[in-house]
Amino acid sequence: MGLALAVEPPVTAPVLEDQALISAALQGHGEAFGELVTRYERAVYNLALRTLRDRTEAEDAAQEAFFKAYRALASFRPGAKFSTWIFTICYRGCCDRLAKRKRLSSDELPDRADPSAGPETLAEQSDEAVRLRAAIDALPEKYRAVITLYHLQGLQYEEIASVLNLPLGTVKTHLFRAKEQLRKALTT
Amino acid sequence: MMYDDFDDLDRALAALPLEEPPVGLHARIMAATVYRPAAAVPAWEVWLTGTLIALAAWLLWVAVSAPTLSSRIVDQITSVATNFGLTSDYTLLWLAIGVSITFWISQLSVPRSRSKRIEAQ
Repeated sequence: MGLALAVEPPVTAPVLEDQALISAALQGHGEAFGELVTRYERAVYNLALRTLRDRTEAEDAAQEAFFKAYRALASFRPGAKFSTWIFTICYRGCCDRLAKRKRLSSDELPDRADPSAGPETLAEQSDEAVRLRAAIDALPEKYRAVITLYHLQGLQYEEIASVLNLPLGTVKTHLFRAKEQLRKALTT
Repeated sequence: MMYDDFDDLDRALAALPLEEPPVGLHARIMAATVYRPAAAVPAWEVWLTGTLIALAAWLLWVAVSAPTLSSRIVDQITSVATNFGLTSDYTLLWLAIGVSITFWISQLSVPRSRSKRIEAQ
């Protein structure tokens, strides 16, 4: 009698790579694109929310980003990361919205400050997460994006540089200054 | 909580959860992408039709704004027709005969040969 090793089959279904999902979506499998949306909608929405500081507009920006990605899916370069691509699309859309907002309002900053971001309300907020988010929202736009992509989305410096179309050194400087401003805002 | 150094801040930022997107966002994205109804007319057809209409409108405007141009075009067509003899009654008669014979021949149904019929069976 030989060895009877009982190899149990994996309980969960194998997780498909983004590239496989893109290929399936290009072949007309809508549910594959749906899976990509499920994977990244939260991250994309959060990037838009931190950049725009407006929930309704962030929702529109996230939807627009996925719409643009879906239309341009055939041009997606194999080997590239879908997350970097969708973040880039989303961030550019957000920048367009901010520029449009500036043109309309003629006020440079604050563009559309979240009411929770005021210094007096900031001090009153007991919830640490809310306090931290408010402090991030009070940062200048260029720092908000870097902090969001690095800490909240876990992107590498190179990926952030690609998404924001900035040199690597600038990304590092922005991140340092953003953290410095955050620390000052949270300790005072 | 006080953030005396970057380590505390880094830890706090790393622990900060992402906010939940609105409930209907996924459905809205899917409706705008995968479940979006296909356009009744392809985009290239709309562009082509628009371009042709714009071109026709421009040509019409050129013709109307320059009255001598339309008369020159008519003269040119007439001279070409004259050079090819298309204004002669005899030419037109023989052309009509030729066209009608061609049409008549095209309507004929020639029966298959016996060998072809057997092959077909």
